[in-house]
Amino acid sequence: MQREGKQLEASLDALLSQVADLKNSLGSFIYKLENEYDRLTCFALLSGQLNTLNKVLKHEKTPLFRNQVIIPLVLSPDRDEDLMRQTEGRVPVFSHEVVPDHLRTKPDPEVEEQEKQLTTDAARIGADVAQKQIQSLNKMCSNLLEKISKEERESESGGLRPNKQTFNPADTNALVAAVAFGKGLSNWRPSGSSGSGQPGQPGTGTILTGASGLQQVQMTGAPSQQQSILSGVQMAQAGQPGKMPSGIKTNIKSASMHPYQWFVSSMEKTAAVKSQDLTQH
Amino acid sequence: MEAPPVTMMPVTGGTINMMEYLLQGSVLDHSLESLIHRLRGLCDNMEPETFLDHEMVFLLKGQQASPFVLRARRSMDRAGAPWHLRYLGQPEVGDKNRHALVRNCVDIATSENLTDFLMEMGFRMDHEFVAKGHLFRKGIMKIMVYKIFRILVPGSTDSTEALSLSYLVELSVVAPAGQDMVSDDMRNFAEQLKPLVHLEKIDPKRLM
Repeated sequence: MQREGKQLEASLDALLSQVADLKNSLGSFIYKLENEYDRLTCFALLSGQLNTLNKVLKHEKTPLFRNQVIIPLVLSPDRDEDLMRQTEGRVPVFSHEVVPDHLRTKPDPEVEEQEKQLTTDAARIGADVAQKQIQSLNKMCSNLLEKISKEERESESGGLRPNKQTFNPADTNALVAAVAFGKGLSNWRPSGSSGSGQPGQPGTGTILTGASGLQQVQMTGAPSQQQSILSGVQMAQAGQPGKMPSGIKTNIKSASMHPYQWFVSSMEKTAAVKSQDLTQH
Repeated sequence: MEAPPVTMMPVTGGTINMMEYLLQGSVLDHSLESLIHRLRGLCDNMEPETFLDHEMVFLLKGQQASPFVLRARRSMDRAGAPWHLRYLGQPEVGDKNRHALVRNCVDIATSENLTDFLMEMGFRMDHEFVAKGHLFRKGIMKIMVYKIFRILVPGSTDSTEALSLSYLVELSVVAPAGQDMVSDDMRNFAEQLKPLVHLEKIDPKRLM
């Protein structure tokens, strides 16, 4: 008898603590619903607490509460300060109105009826049909979940896709052309076919070096063909388009010059160009 | 003056012919950060390395039609680093299965009087630019993400303007000739950078 009494008290204490925790989280849940309804994250906590409550109740050391009966001993319509304090102001009076709600052990008669109906229905359809129904419900739920998550993902990526352009193929081509043969980089000559490569005005120094470069071509007679100059963009000719045709049209001697002679004369011209450069700058 | 395709030349001793395998792409400025983060995760663990280089391209007009191109590169932020002279041959026309652009490559470190030497030899500077960006490494693969700046006043690297709103991304490997599995490794790595960057082999002749 004593042991059962102690057990009862211990389990009551445990139950009280669980119920207090649950009450607190329910309170915060209601608060969140009312104020911060866009950030509801507490369902996991609530379900966890309910689960622990159930576990405590099912614990082997818990005596069957079903066998215990609570009987109100005194009912009074006066305010009870003690009760107020304990229930945090929710139950001011322990009167005959409060008792049916708070000391209830069975649901309302209508609710009880409905529950009985449902239980008879469930028992009627048989175990395997019930199992099939459970399975189909699970499958539908998972399908729905999948659809929702896919929608979420797609809408996210769809919203980001216009901004998601991380590279521009035209830029790629422009950059590769710039690195490979200086398209759009050089200040000394236009970029041939595309007009976009037209750089700014070359400085005076470069014009003069260009001019002397032209003279160099005329005088040294480096053998080259007209077609080859026109085809490649890699030419160290002068900057302005007006001068280029004149450079090409000059008569260029070939073969009569010994390669070494050409080399020496080009070096001389280089020296002349360099000295000109120095006088310019 | 253009060398015949390297793989046809007999090996007569001396240095091994090195080939550069190259894949290129670009990334817009606002996606640069995500690309850098991804590369930091994918590549070898090392201090993030940035570089600021000034590259000058020299041409020597020879007897043949196409001039001889040499690239001289100097570091603007590392004092005392040698200049880098590089020759890049024509891209090899291999089978279509090769995933990267392959060309002959000769790299030489030189002293600072490189430009004077080249001018004396008869080379003329064709164009120059400033490259500023990041460098990553994964094994033998080198990944460079850099922005090209046009030099407004020839000879002075202070006045520069960006060429475009993108960074150029280059994945390159310098390996001896004949190792084609390198391009497979490069392609696998390039797959990991999609969809941020599309690295592909871009034939420069197509863009002329």
